[in-house]
Amino acid sequence: MPAIQEIPEAVFQETITRAVQEVFKTMLNQNVTHVPMNAEETKACLGLDTPHVVSTVGFIGSINGLIYLYMQDAFAAQCAGNMLGMDAAEIKEAGDETVNDAIGEITNMTVGTFKNQLSDKGFPCKLTIPSILRGSNFQIESITAATRRTYKFAIGPNSLIADLLMQPPSE
Amino acid sequence: MRYKILSVDDSKTVRIIIKKAFKLYDCDILEGANGVEGLALATKETPDIILLDVTMPVMDGVEMLTKLKADPVLKSIPVIMLTAEGGKEHVLKIAKIGVRDYIVKPFKEELLVQKVGRIIDLKPITDAPAKAKSIFDPATLLVVEDKPAIFAQIQEGLKHTPWQVHGVASTGEAIDFCGRTAVDLVMISLSLPDESAFTLFRVLRTNLKTKYTPIFGLVVKTDVAAQQMAQQVGFTGIATKPIDISELESKVAKAMNLDTSLRYFKNESDLLIMSLPEVVTPTVINEVTGYIKGKVAEAVDSGINKAVFDLHEVKRLDMNIIKMLLTAMQTCREVALQYSLVGNSTLLADCKGYEDTRNWQFHDSIADARQGLQKLAGAPA
Repeated sequence: MPAIQEIPEAVFQETITRAVQEVFKTMLNQNVTHVPMNAEETKACLGLDTPHVVSTVGFIGSINGLIYLYMQDAFAAQCAGNMLGMDAAEIKEAGDETVNDAIGEITNMTVGTFKNQLSDKGFPCKLTIPSILRGSNFQIESITAATRRTYKFAIGPNSLIADLLMQPPSE
Repeated sequence: MRYKILSVDDSKTVRIIIKKAFKLYDCDILEGANGVEGLALATKETPDIILLDVTMPVMDGVEMLTKLKADPVLKSIPVIMLTAEGGKEHVLKIAKIGVRDYIVKPFKEELLVQKVGRIIDLKPITDAPAKAKSIFDPATLLVVEDKPAIFAQIQEGLKHTPWQVHGVASTGEAIDFCGRTAVDLVMISLSLPDESAFTLFRVLRTNLKTKYTPIFGLVVKTDVAAQQMAQQVGFTGIATKPIDISELESKVAKAMNLDTSLRYFKNESDLLIMSLPEVVTPTVINEVTGYIKGKVAEAVDSGINKAVFDLHEVKRLDMNIIKMLLTAMQTCREVALQYSLVGNSTLLADCKGYEDTRNWQFHDSIADARQGLQKLAGAPA
C-alpha cells in the first residue's frame, strides 16, 4: 500500500470527479464536467460573496479528511427539489432544513463514493455524519498539516466546488 | 395483506426517496431516524423488511443490526443495508452479522424496489376494489413474435376490440417495451430462437411491473413438448397456431379478468335483455351460464321485473344452448321474473325436435316481446 503522499494528484482528481458524476447522474439525472482552474481561480472560488450552502462529510481511518461541497443557494434548492420530487414552491414551503438535509445526503453519497474507492485501493476509512454551513461572506481555512485540493465542476449552468482537505493518520 | 417496510436512516431525504420509490406498491413505510428508533419500531411493528443505514447518530446501523440478530423474535426479519459505506472490508464485516442484501448509495429507486421485491412479494397498488375492467375498456397487449404474418393475424383479428395490440420481434424489444409501458397481457412465441421465450418469461416474472401480468405462449398446435414446458414454467395460457381468434379473444379476456357480461346482458328501462351471438360456442355458454344468477339478481334488485332472451341471431339450437336457456328460465322463475323469447323461424323449427322446447314461442323483436310481457302483467290472475 503506498503512503498517502505517494498517490498521484491525478488519482484524487479522477476519484472525486467520478464520485460527483456518479451521484449527480444517479440521484439527479444530471451530467457533470470537471472544469480545470488555475491557482488564482481556485483561491477566488473559495471566497464566498453570494448566499451559499456548504456541506461537509469527513472520513477517518487510514486517511483522515474532510470534503466540502459548495453550491449557491438557488442551485442547492434546485438539487433538493429534483432529488425529492418537489417543485420550487414545495421546496420553498418545506424550508431550509429540507434543503440542508438533501444537500447533506448528496455530500454523504459523494464522499462515500470517494472514500469507498480509496478503501478499495488499500486505505480503509469510515464516514462521519454530514454538517451544513450557510452564509454569503465566509472562507474556510485549512489546518497547516492538511493537504488541500480544490476542484470545480459544471452541472448545467451551475457550478459545484469540491474542496478536499486530507492528512495522514496521526501515529 | 399490506407489507411493512421499516426505513432506518438519519437522513430525512433518504426516507422521503424510499417513500417515493414504494408509493405505487401495496405497502406501508415506517420510519426511524437512528438505531434506537429503528429497534423500537421493529419490536412494536414487526416489519416484513428493514432498510438500514450504517452511519447514524445515537445508535449506528451496525449496532442495530447486531441487536436485531441477537433478538430471537426479530432476528428473522430480512435486512437490506442501504448505505454510503461501500468499502469491500466494511461490506464483508456487515455481511458476517447477517444481511440479505447491500445497496451502496447513490442508488436508483428502481434498484431498491427490485431488491426489496426479491424478498417480499410486493404488489402494485391497483384500483381494487373498484369496478372490474370490462371487455369494452382499453388494454395493452404485447405480442413477441418474429413472424410478421402471425402478428398481423392477431392484430387484424382483435381490431374490433378496444385493445391496442403491439408487436415486437425480439426479447430485448419486449423488455424495453414493458419497461416503458404498462402492459395488460403478453403473448410470446415459443418458437423464438434459443428458447428465448422462456428466458423472457423469467425476466418478466422477476420484474415487479410484469410480475403478475398474464403471459401466453404462442405455439403450433402439434408442438406438444413446447406447450408442456410452457405450462410447467407457469405461462398463464397457451394460444395455438393456427390461431382461432374468437378463442384467443375469450382466453385473453379471461386471463385479464375482464367482465364480459356486457356482451350478453343489458338492462333496458324495465327489461333485462340477454342476447346470444350468431354462433354460440362452448365458451359463450360457459360465460353466459356463469353470469345468469348474478345478472338476474342485479336486475331484480334494481326494480326490473321482466326479462327477454334475445336469440334472433342464433343460427342453430342444440342441447347445450337449450340447457343454458332452461337454467336462465328457472332462475327467472325463482325470483318471479317474467320472461319471453325473441327468435327466428329456424329456431322455431329446431324447437319442435326437442321435448323440452316443443312449446317454446318466439317474438319477432324485443319491442314485441316487451309488449307481450306488459299484456301478461296486466292480465287478470
